[in-house]
Amino acid sequence: MKKIIALLLCLAMVGCLFAACAPAETQPTGGSNTEPGTSTEPSTNTEPGANAEPDTIVIMAPPVTGNYIANLKVWAEDFHNLYPNLTVEIIETSWGDHNDKLSTMAQAGEAPDIAEVSSNAIGTYVDMGVVVDVSKYLSAERLADYDTNALNYMTLDNTVYGLPLYLTIQALGANKEMLEAAGADVAKIQQEGWTYEEFLEIIKNGTTENTFGFVFANSGVTASDMMYIFGAGAGLGNTFTEDMKYVFTSENMLSLLKAIEEMTQSGYMPNYAVEAGQRMVMCQTGNAMIFGKAMPLFESNFKTNNAALDANDGTAVEGSMKMDYVFLPSPTIDGAAEACYGTVDGLIAMRNNNTTDEHLANVMLFMDYICSGERIAACMNELYLDPVCQTGRDALVLEEGRDQANLDTASRCMSLVVAPPSGVTAEMTATAQSLMNEVIVPKFQLLLAGETTAEEVYQEIVEAGIDAFGEENCVTGRLG
Amino acid sequence: MKKTTAPRLKPRRKFRFNNEDLWGYLFIAAAMIIFCVFTLYPVISAVYTSFFEYKPFGSEFVGLQNYAETLEFSKRNLFYKAAWNTLLYTVVVVPLSLLLAFAIAVMILPFKKKTQSVFKALYYLPGVASGVALSVVWLWIYDSSPDGLFNQLLTFLHIPTQNWLSSTKTSMLSLMIMALLSGHGVNIITYMAALHGIDNSYFEAAELDGATFFQKVRSIVWPLVKPTTLFLLVTGVIGSFQVFMNAYMMTGGGPDNSTTMIGLLIYNNAFVYAKYGLACAQAILLTIVIAFVSLFQFKLMGVDVEY
Repeated sequence: MKKIIALLLCLAMVGCLFAACAPAETQPTGGSNTEPGTSTEPSTNTEPGANAEPDTIVIMAPPVTGNYIANLKVWAEDFHNLYPNLTVEIIETSWGDHNDKLSTMAQAGEAPDIAEVSSNAIGTYVDMGVVVDVSKYLSAERLADYDTNALNYMTLDNTVYGLPLYLTIQALGANKEMLEAAGADVAKIQQEGWTYEEFLEIIKNGTTENTFGFVFANSGVTASDMMYIFGAGAGLGNTFTEDMKYVFTSENMLSLLKAIEEMTQSGYMPNYAVEAGQRMVMCQTGNAMIFGKAMPLFESNFKTNNAALDANDGTAVEGSMKMDYVFLPSPTIDGAAEACYGTVDGLIAMRNNNTTDEHLANVMLFMDYICSGERIAACMNELYLDPVCQTGRDALVLEEGRDQANLDTASRCMSLVVAPPSGVTAEMTATAQSLMNEVIVPKFQLLLAGETTAEEVYQEIVEAGIDAFGEENCVTGRLG
Repeated sequence: MKKTTAPRLKPRRKFRFNNEDLWGYLFIAAAMIIFCVFTLYPVISAVYTSFFEYKPFGSEFVGLQNYAETLEFSKRNLFYKAAWNTLLYTVVVVPLSLLLAFAIAVMILPFKKKTQSVFKALYYLPGVASGVALSVVWLWIYDSSPDGLFNQLLTFLHIPTQNWLSSTKTSMLSLMIMALLSGHGVNIITYMAALHGIDNSYFEAAELDGATFFQKVRSIVWPLVKPTTLFLLVTGVIGSFQVFMNAYMMTGGGPDNSTTMIGLLIYNNAFVYAKYGLACAQAILLTIVIAFVSLFQFKLMGVDVEY
């Protein structure tokens, strides 16, 4: 008897382990018996949604905004009411595990039908062969709703691999009162931009015994943010030129590195690594005047903190003071044209073991539904950004109380973001990504720590760039 | 002449699958199934995948290309740098961790059983917390601003503050200190168990001979816990070669790849660059290195060890 009980317990243990490994829900099939993962070519007579075959669309998304997942559930329900045969399942992820989870699922051939990705990551999935060409399933009329610039971010090798959700811009933010006290013409900077020399003069004026003129979150991998944001002002907004040459080997890179070296040694910014969470707090507590990276959305954080200080309810940042937030463009370096660093996050449609042609048509229908109209307008209102599609702009009703100057600056900066050339291939982006992660950012970290010089870093980058792309495919002089 | 005959060996019993055998196989079946599905199959699959450029819908056979790419001598091949970092980390952390654990176990031993349990629980406590939670605490300790805990301590001692995790001079040291101060609970408990197994008569005899405390430790305790030391050394080295969490959470491998470990490199290749074939090849190479190092340790230290 004892043996039988022991054996049953062993079997139960093995059973539990395998049960835990089983998928939580069975993947929807879309009612087709097509060989898994083989047919993704659209048939001309596919009428999405109108086909009464029941189908389930799986979307995986992180909290793009605070209310995004809750809104997504409502939109999925609305969509189901519009097309009763189509059901949407949502896989919620956190920003921390989204990319790892998506990559693992895609590698296993079990990718969700729709996933949120940064445009920088599209190349990886294209290389895997799991992303679907959107233009084959969406009408030209629907595609025309999206801004070409934003759509170009979702394009590789002249193929559109996704729909843009938003174009986010990253630059600088500041305490308005302190900035004016340091002699800055805030309105002029917001409307016309500024040069690196003007920026340096202002952060010098803003530096006191207890206040840094400038602080940037540059600890660990966030060092790359500093390079991208100031890099845009140095003419390095895109990795490749229109004629497909690698730009980080250009002399503009040297100008950028010298500017960074000067800033870190100036004493106007901390000479230690600053964690991402500290920069805004340093500004709110008066320990820093200008901070980066900053986004238009931070206006909301400052307003919330001001309200908490007024209410004196203990929720305000400890030691903070009331202040007005200003969103500032990146300064231009060495005569480069004004530009702003931006990236597009969007949705891609993915192949999995159950993908069929009819299913993909339904997937595109839902993807287009949530990327446009009042759905995206609500999302952009939360992010303090302009929608990147016409139906989104038409549906946008601006939240009350927004600072008009910040709003105009954000719009102006968004117009300064230029998409990468559409002819860039997945292989080129993969090589550039690997160079960025394994050479440029590590050397940049050394420069920030004061353990090397701008010239040494530049030489390393030039060598690595030429090694990877060949001298003929790298810019060696100054850009344009 | 008398013929000598070789001693007759007992004839091997003919294998018959009796009732007892059946029960035996049934009981080990649970462990065997779990081992085969969750260990053996992934290892075989990793070896197989390492010969392919893996893609979910049609991998391409590339032979030994992933191995060649991993072992290629080039200035920018991170594998050797990661291997060096991992080796350095292992060489410093494992022996120091064992010494520390041994010293603490010896110091705890004279206390009463209840006090011993309190100490054991306290030292084991970091092992209960999740690695992520621990890393967050350590990030605060290593905060490079003057408000960081270690920097406050340095300021108190009139020593210049340090860019702990952002300077190549201190980044690896920071990870080593973190490993040394938060990961020896298991070692202490294992050493305590070994120390309890030493017969008291050895110490009584040593005391009669007038041996000092350190003489007793050197001549009685250390030789008698050698099997435990070998076990902890081998498992410690294996664990240390696979270190991942510390570098991933604390530094991301930086600055200038000074804390990029093999485990982190494999992770990046698999999940950041989606190069599963290359990642598998690197994982297999790591397995081979660990197997050789373990074998070497057994050969070197296991000669006079009896279990």
